[in-house]
Amino acid sequence: MTVLTDAAPRIVLPTSTDAGFGRAVGVLARRRLLLSARTPREIIVPLLTPILFADVIAPALAKATGTFGGIDYRSFVAIGTVGLLVPLSAVLGGIGMIVDRDSGAQRDLLAAPIPRAAMVVGNLVVAVGIASLQVAALIAASLLGGASFATSASGVAWFASAALGIAVAMHGAAEVLASRIPKQEEYIGAAPPVALVPWFFAGSFFTISSMPAGLTVFAKLLPLTHALALMRYGMVDHGGQGLHDIWGLSSVSTMAALSLGVVVLFAAGMTAIAVRVFSATAVR
Amino acid sequence: MTTTAAVQVRDLRKTYDGEVEAVRGIDFDVETGEVFGLLGPNGAGKSTTIGMLTTTIRPTSGSARLCGHDVVTGARAARSVSAVVFQEAVVDRPLTGRRNLEVHAQLWGLSGADVVERVDDAIDSFALGDLADRPVGSYSGGERRRLEIARSLLSRPRVLFLDEPTVGLDPRMRVELLDLVDGLRDRHGLSIVLTTHYLDEAERLCDRVGIMHAGRIVALDSPATLLGAFGAEVLEVRVRGHADGVLSSLRAGRVAGDDAFAVGGTITIPLHDLPAARALRSLDGDEHVVAVTTRPPTLDDVYLRLTGDTLAA
Repeated sequence: MTVLTDAAPRIVLPTSTDAGFGRAVGVLARRRLLLSARTPREIIVPLLTPILFADVIAPALAKATGTFGGIDYRSFVAIGTVGLLVPLSAVLGGIGMIVDRDSGAQRDLLAAPIPRAAMVVGNLVVAVGIASLQVAALIAASLLGGASFATSASGVAWFASAALGIAVAMHGAAEVLASRIPKQEEYIGAAPPVALVPWFFAGSFFTISSMPAGLTVFAKLLPLTHALALMRYGMVDHGGQGLHDIWGLSSVSTMAALSLGVVVLFAAGMTAIAVRVFSATAVR
Repeated sequence: MTTTAAVQVRDLRKTYDGEVEAVRGIDFDVETGEVFGLLGPNGAGKSTTIGMLTTTIRPTSGSARLCGHDVVTGARAARSVSAVVFQEAVVDRPLTGRRNLEVHAQLWGLSGADVVERVDDAIDSFALGDLADRPVGSYSGGERRRLEIARSLLSRPRVLFLDEPTVGLDPRMRVELLDLVDGLRDRHGLSIVLTTHYLDEAERLCDRVGIMHAGRIVALDSPATLLGAFGAEVLEVRVRGHADGVLSSLRAGRVAGDDAFAVGGTITIPLHDLPAARALRSLDGDEHVVAVTTRPPTLDDVYLRLTGDTLAA
């Protein structure tokens, strides 16, 4: 007769080992990249609207407006469209997570001996990589369309840090949405507002000081406003007018550091929330 | 004899949203090298049980261990010794079969040449050579299932969970797959937990079965022992109209015992030591009887006897 035991000794297992967090992220990121490469719409579609803005609408408006706060309007809007491209790209990338859950290999990944946060971070790495390529393509298209950027290494660093921060944050938002929304059709309905609404208030087409006072206050609370002001500071607005509209301080570098802090905090917070929500919802 | 179980489940429970009790306190062990079947219809709690054992569903209470690792407090260690083939296809359809295998192997801690070697072995062992470099989306249901089983064995798990492995397959594929699963017995030290609602599968593959009904295990033993309780033969009587009256009279005539049961218009009577001829004679002239047959008992009989509360007399 077999007697049930309450405390079986642990068996030492030579055949399977823990993949570790970094290694798991690497494997999952490669997997996500392969999946994204096979669905080019994830990469191409988010680019279309911003490029049309930068190369069709901005030049037309530039003719009417000329310069805006001392900045060529075409260049001003080119940076503003980054604030559309990055959130749109991240949020549309969330569809891939729903596909993963509904008809992909997500359950096998959940059964793997890896920290589940690695699944979120693996997706994040690819989302940021794709967003970087898209931003580079958008900047190139803007240059071809007549925009001009006078920048330096530190200017590029401010631009890249802000774009990276907002990409990370919006990927977190996409993960949260994808975890919370059960169906792809519902996600497609809910996601665009998340990507688009902040863009209208964040000083994409005009400085936030041009808006009614109440909306200006609201705009200052949006991390995207800080990101756009930083990106412009790095690429076109070397006097930091956009940053001054937010903070009203005299030191540009202090204001830039404060805005970067806001963006980084937002990115870290959204990533932490994304990991938490994913872990809570993926395991019932 | 005290043994180390590959799977230990103690008073395991799962209640969804505080109301739906999917699993209501189950206990079982699966020994090393054993094939254990969880049987029951849809909604019995089998897949929830597998979900808790694979750490994809959080238990409400109770405990479960895989090779000594608790599925809650040592979830990653428990996952490292197990693998699962899910009821639905769980694959990256745009990727090739080979790529699916590689990702799985890497996530279970293999690297470099080990990945290549194990993946090539799996492709050979499961006759996936012609499929391996095609996107999985182009596979048939049987091919995809074969790939998933191959994938599950890449990490050489100690415990393999197969959740309804033959659901949705055509009969030929089903037979092939059962042969394949039967072949896994030869893998040294692999314990298999299989869920199915096809009782013939369990009878063929499993060393022991737990029959689940409404979140509980209502019987747990080897198929032979469970079937043995019915004797060598059962008498199946089909009657016109309701069977209860006929069953009562058969009981009064001591042809049917307490373990006889009726489902709709069919009465099943375990014969035990009763000669079939005597049982048949007792039915002579009964105008309600449409057809009578004798046959060996099956696990269907065990299941219906145990779970047909309102149907059994």
